[in-house]
Amino acid sequence: VLHTTRPLHTTQQSLAPVPPLPEKGGEVRHGLIPEEFFQFLYPKTGVTGPYMLGTGLLLYFLSKEIYVVNHETVAAACILTVIVYAIKKFGPEVAAFADKLNEVMKKVQFDLAAVSLQRKGFVKVQTARGQGWPPCAAVLQNNIAMLLEANYRERLLTVYNEVKKRLDYQVALQNLKRQKEQDHMIQWVEKSVVQSITPQQQKESIAKCILDLKALSKSAQATM
Amino acid sequence: MNMTFFDQFSSPSFLGIPLILISMTFPALLLPSLDNRWITNRLSTLQLWFVNLITKQLMMPLDKKGHKWALILTSLMIFLLLINLLGLLPYTFTPTTQLSMNLALAFPLWLATLLTGLRNQPSASLAHLLPEGTPTPLIPALIMIETTSLLIRPLALGVRLTANLTAGHLLIQLISTATTALFSTMPLLSLLTFLILFLLTILEVAVAMIQAYVFVLLLSLYLQENI
Repeated sequence: VLHTTRPLHTTQQSLAPVPPLPEKGGEVRHGLIPEEFFQFLYPKTGVTGPYMLGTGLLLYFLSKEIYVVNHETVAAACILTVIVYAIKKFGPEVAAFADKLNEVMKKVQFDLAAVSLQRKGFVKVQTARGQGWPPCAAVLQNNIAMLLEANYRERLLTVYNEVKKRLDYQVALQNLKRQKEQDHMIQWVEKSVVQSITPQQQKESIAKCILDLKALSKSAQATM
Repeated sequence: MNMTFFDQFSSPSFLGIPLILISMTFPALLLPSLDNRWITNRLSTLQLWFVNLITKQLMMPLDKKGHKWALILTSLMIFLLLINLLGLLPYTFTPTTQLSMNLALAFPLWLATLLTGLRNQPSASLAHLLPEGTPTPLIPALIMIETTSLLIRPLALGVRLTANLTAGHLLIQLISTATTALFSTMPLLSLLTFLILFLLTILEVAVAMIQAYVFVLLLSLYLQENI
């Protein structure tokens, strides 16, 4: 039988990968004797060889009473008739039933295989597309990069302007303060000077100015 | 040595080595082991289908607690079925013809059902001893009768299986002996006897399968009462 010929635990990983089952079981003739026996005897004895051997052996056992015919023989004949009849009659039906049970599994396996093939095709198409992608991608990426850069620069300018405005304000404030201080001081100085001028000084300065003017008019007249 | 008709039921031994264990465990070798394959060959598929059928059939009347028994009941069924059917081949020994083996199977399993019932639901288990609607004067007698019937169950299970198979095998032997004996003197009568033997063989095949099923079914029924 097929399942007893498979070796057990011959390698480390006895489970995976599972070797595939052969498509058909071992060929048997007359339901009992493997086909290999007939092939083995064929070169020497031809087609009738194994049958001659079988008949000869059977007659030998019977005649020498190595196998004794007793009541068990009759019982054996009975049960073997029943078994052979049952197999011949119900064998194909049972086989068809087993195949029908396997059909569902095969269909699912086929579906899974089909889906995986589809996926492989899909991956292939995508990789093919991937190779046509770069030039287009570079241009688009460039555009986007430029837009981003421009946007960044604008924002940078805005920041700069804002900061400058605040600093200008501070500078203007300081200038204004100093201006005011200067003006105030000048005014004060002027006021104190004006206040310090006494009437005596005024008269003297006016007289001096008149004398200066006379002198100047004389000198002017002299030059003309 | 003169063979009696009962020598076919003696426990097999070879050179003093008892072979009974091999004869009990050999049928398991004939079943293909369950692979983790998606698609198996016909034999594995059929085996799987059959096991599923048995398990579903046995476990349907039981509630969830009884599903613990699924493994042992299914394996018992397959065991008995295979042993019974293989025993019909010529020159084979059927372990289930031995009362010792059948009682060894029946007694512990029946006791397990009984103790499960007594442990989990003692009053309901004991209530089975008195059927509903019995007239009051009959109650003591009926309790005794029901107790006896309860205690005789393992014996009945074991002996039923043994008796059926032993009787079948014995009949096959007897009628085939008659066929052989009549063959030289009255061949036509021998042929008639052979026909009877043929029908008997078909009956025996049916009995082999039915007895295995009945054994397991009764156990599951006892379980149903007590779970």
